[in-house]
Formats: sequence, C-alpha cells, structure tokens
Amino acid sequence: MPALETSPAIHRTVVSDRREPAPGISVVGLYAPRLAGATRPGQFAMVVPPGGERAATALGIYEAQGDRISLMLVAVGPRTRELATLPLGAQLDLFGPLGNGFDLAALGDEVALVAGGVGLASLLLPARELLARGARVYLFYGARTAGALVDADLFAELGARVYVATDDGTLGWAGYVTDLLRETAMHFSGIAACGPSPMLRAVARVAADLGVRAQLSLEETFACGVGACWGCVVGLSRESAQAPRFPAPAPGETRDYVHARICKEGPVFWAHELRW
Amino acid sequence: MVENAASATGPSIATRIGKLDLPAPTLMGSGCYGSGEEYAPFVDLAGIGGIVLKSVTRFPRLGNAPPRLVATPSGLLNAIGLQNPGIDAYLENDVAKFAERPCAVIGSVAGFSVDDYAYVTERLAARDEIDAIELNISCPNVGSEGETFACDPGLAEQATRAARRVTAKTLIVKLSPNVTDIAAIARVVEAAGADALAVVNTVRGMAIDVETAKPRLGNTTGGLSGAAIRPIAVLAVWEVARAVKIPIVGQGGIENARDALEFILAGASAVSIGTGNFTDPRAPQTVADGLRSYLAERRIASLRDVVGKANPGFAGVR
Ligand SMILES: Cc1cc2nc3c(=O)[nH]c(=O)nc-3n(C[C@H](O)[C@H](O)[C@H](O)COP(=O)(O)O)c2cc1C
Ligand code: FES
Repeated sequence: MPALETSPAIHRTVVSDRREPAPGISVVGLYAPRLAGATRPGQFAMVVPPGGERAATALGIYEAQGDRISLMLVAVGPRTRELATLPLGAQLDLFGPLGNGFDLAALGDEVALVAGGVGLASLLLPARELLARGARVYLFYGARTAGALVDADLFAELGARVYVATDDGTLGWAGYVTDLLRETAMHFSGIAACGPSPMLRAVARVAADLGVRAQLSLEETFACGVGACWGCVVGLSRESAQAPRFPAPAPGETRDYVHARICKEGPVFWAHELRW
Repeated sequence: MVENAASATGPSIATRIGKLDLPAPTLMGSGCYGSGEEYAPFVDLAGIGGIVLKSVTRFPRLGNAPPRLVATPSGLLNAIGLQNPGIDAYLENDVAKFAERPCAVIGSVAGFSVDDYAYVTERLAARDEIDAIELNISCPNVGSEGETFACDPGLAEQATRAARRVTAKTLIVKLSPNVTDIAAIARVVEAAGADALAVVNTVRGMAIDVETAKPRLGNTTGGLSGAAIRPIAVLAVWEVARAVKIPIVGQGGIENARDALEFILAGASAVSIGTGNFTDPRAPQTVADGLRSYLAERRIASLRDVVGKANPGFAGVR
C-alpha cells in the first residue's frame, strides 16, 4: 500500500452539529476546513482531550466535505462520553490527518466493504470515492442488534448495495457479517474492512478462502498516534511494502516478521501480509 | 538590576545539564518522541531544550508482542520492550538525520550487561550528531535484566563507570522509581561519574482484562507513566535533590508549566515530557510559555533562581 503524502497539523475545530443515530452512538460534526480538504479515505485524527491528563483519542474521519468533517463514536467511557456531549459551538482541538488510508485503486471495480459497528465510520469516504469512479460497492454491515445499525441508508443513497447482519437476528442475517460475506458467494475484486479485531481476523480468513485480497483497517490503543512511541504495533511480513526497515533478527530471535506501527505504517494493511 | 534584566529581555528559562547549555529546560522523554520528526508538524522543535532519542541496544530487538499499551485513569501503561534496530543499523541508517534537529539531541543507551553499556555508549557518543548520552538503566519492560541495573547500587555504579570511561560527553543516568531508597542509588551514580540524573523512569504496573481473565499487556507487566505517577516522581526528585549535587532532569506526568514547576521547585534543573505529548503535542510550548510567565509575574530573572526553592534540604547544583 503506498504511503500517502499527508500534511498533518493541529486543527482548532468547532462543533457544528451533532446527532445520535442510536442510543450511545454519536456523530459529531466539526467545522474544520483545512482538515476536511486534507483527509483521504481511511485516515484518522487524534482528538486532544478537553480536560487534559489522558492520551488523545484516535477516531476515524467519517465524513469530510467542504468545511466540515464528522466523527462517529460510541460513548463507552468518560472520554468518549465527554466528546459525545460537547455543546454546539464548543472548541475541539484535533491533530491529523494521520495514517495511510485505503489504497482504493488496488481494490478494483467490484468492492466489498465490511463494517463492524462504528468501524463503519472509516468506510464512508472510501465508498464515496469508489462509487464516484464507477466501481460497484457492496456494504456488508454487522452490529449487535438492529438498533445499533446506523446510517446504512447513507450508503444506500450513495449507490452502494447494503447487506446487514445482527448478532441477535433482529435485522438481516442472524449471525456474523463475515459469515454473510462468505455465504453470498459473490465475486469481488477486493475487500476493505474496518471493525473490531475478531471481525477483521474473520474477514482475513474469508478473503483467503474466496481468493480475494483484503485491506484491513486495524483498531488498537494509541498513545502518540504519530509513529513516535512504537506502542501500537502489529506483526507484518518482512516482504510487505509497508514493513519498516529492520535488520536481520538478532541471534535467538525466533520471530521472522517485523513490527509495524498501526498509526504510521497503517492503520490499513493487506490481510495476507499480517502476522497476528 | 535583576528586575531590569527580566523586564528588558523577559525572564530566562535557560538551564545547564552537565556540559549542555539548553535555551529551554524541556527535554522530550526517551521512547516518547521518536527522533523528533514525528512531532515536527505540530511543534517548533527550535523551542524545546532537546530530544532524548529512543533507547538503543547492542543487538536488534523486535520488542514485546502486542498489546503494548493500556490507557489507565490519568495514566498509560506501556511495555514496548526496547524495540530498536541495534547499534550497527542505527549508526548506519538513523543517526545522520539527527544533525538537522534545531535542538540538543541526546542518545539513549540500554543494555543487559556492563559491557553492553560501555560498547553502545562508546560507539554512539563518538558521533557528532549526538550531544549527550542518557543511560537507561531502568527499563521495566525487558524481563528482570533491564531494570536490575537501576535497582542494585553495585550494578548502577558499574554501568555508570563503564559509560563514563568511554565518553567525555554529558552523561545522564536515568533512575528507576521502583526502589526502596532512590537517594542511595543516586549517590553511587554521582560518585561513578554521572553528570546528571533523569528522575524517574516508569513505575511498574499491570492491568487485567476481567472478561478474558488475562493480563492486558502482551508482556504481562508494564511501566506506568503520565499524570498518575506525578506525585511519585516529584517525591523522587525531592529525595534525590537532597542527596546529590549534579543536576536533575525531572519527569513523570508533566503536561503544563505548573506540573514542571513542582519538579523544579523540588530541585530539578530541567524537566522531561513524555506522555504529556500524547495528550497534546503542544505541551512543550505550553510548558515553556507557562514557565516564562510564572517567572515574569513574580519578577524573577531566571529559572535557576527557583530550582529547589521548595526543598529545604536541596543541596544545590555544583
Ligand atoms: C511508550 C513509552 C516508551 C518509553 N520508552 C522509553 C525508552 O525507550 N527509554 C527510556 O529511557 N524511557 C522510556 N520511557 C519512559 C519515559 O521516557 C519517561 O521517563 C516516563 O514515561 C515518565 O515520564 P512521562 O510521564 O512524562 O512519560 C517510555 C515511556 C513510554 C510511555
Ligand atoms: S501510537 Fe505511538 S507509534 Fe503508534
């Protein structure tokens, strides 16, 4: 995956709109003209905590158009709840855009996007760009329950075919979205996925079985988010074009791969190159 | 006179660590700042005192298996495991670019034997791009060996002496808070020839996932940093400042000038910011600006005038 030319910066943004498409899930719109212009599909930003004393929060950039970007978040802990309840007009500092983003050209013209929960957020910009260049886009979207499937209509309006799965069977396929992907037996030229890591591992297996290459956007706890601390690594084949330069293993080292930073070399990796 | 000097040019936050004259008392913590380039888009590196580079070892190290990070209340647990390319590849590929940094560049050396410390220090310190050496004898994330040096006065002394013998550049030795008597370790390290002390490295800790009933870090245990350890670190500086006469680089949870001042008033001549950069990359600027206004508001000409001011047992810097 080619590293993208990006020019990250600190952005002082202002909360412009907010909605709660499902209980506990928020979409926060921000006035952020420079960031909106600089963001590529699959990139993320680090949100500086308004109260200090904890690491910035990494969030995929959901929408980026005109002067506005938005972030989708689940209000689980104190920090995400704080972000979800920011009043309109509140200031929020972010730094980004960060990470490599998806290599959309390499996905071909029949693309399956696989989203787990709010992993959906990293797939809207790819969907938009793929559809704009004439690709057919199939969104496979899984969540715990029907109420947690948000914004599927947004993808449909853009022209994507949407297939949903719920763990509890309240809507669509009952079970894992990755099983649904396998069962459709459709032909894809490429797969792009974002969601919790058990789902991504399943996507990797299904993709291998289907003989299709998949790009996975990995989730991990970040500290710096800019490649400075090596805290967010994943095992990656030495042969990967994304593998950081690393000398031959020292005597006694049994691992034949390297560690790549999810925030820097990633967050998007080719599934078949991961060693995890 | 002092007042005039302060009002004409603004108060000075310059400091001196060994042979290093720093225009600002802010170092960026080892392992937290990459080589500086990662943060260059967000902060003017010319405004900081210096960067302490990621620790380097004799041989390449792939580092610990992930997960390597856990966010905790007001803190961060990490277990990176000294991932680095080893001194050979480091000298060949990485060191040349440090010459472009508009601030001091301090190499960090980690090891598993006294000989390691001497060997890596000698080779790294020989490079012009490196202004000083920090001896990391206190990494808690590489099994028992890494931290043993900072927890055993005899080993701390040997490692310091070995590094001292091979370089005339400023030698900073980084101490561990995971000891009963940090002042005693500080004394032997001073006697063994250290020019300065970094106080402190991370506090050992761990977190357990109650869903899986497993430790959350790939390495099981880790080192805690950030605001959560600040009071522990301030006390460590306080105790060390009463025991030695070499300058101290205080660190542990510094995010703003008030945090930094706690360390300085306890006896630190400089501070280091690690985890604070993760909260906000502007932290180095925030700290420097805040220190200047603290001094200006009190009409104090120089930061040096407040070093150790809260600490009646502060022995003064030689
Ligand atoms: C992710 C991470 C990596 C670190 N790596 C190193 C290292 O390689 N060498 C070292 O001497 N200290 C290392 N440290 C310790 C820091 O330099 C610093 O001493 C400590 O975190 C306390 O300061 P802080 O709370 O400002 O981060 C690391 C800390 C963190 C959080
Ligand atoms: S979070 Fe620091 S390198 Fe990725």
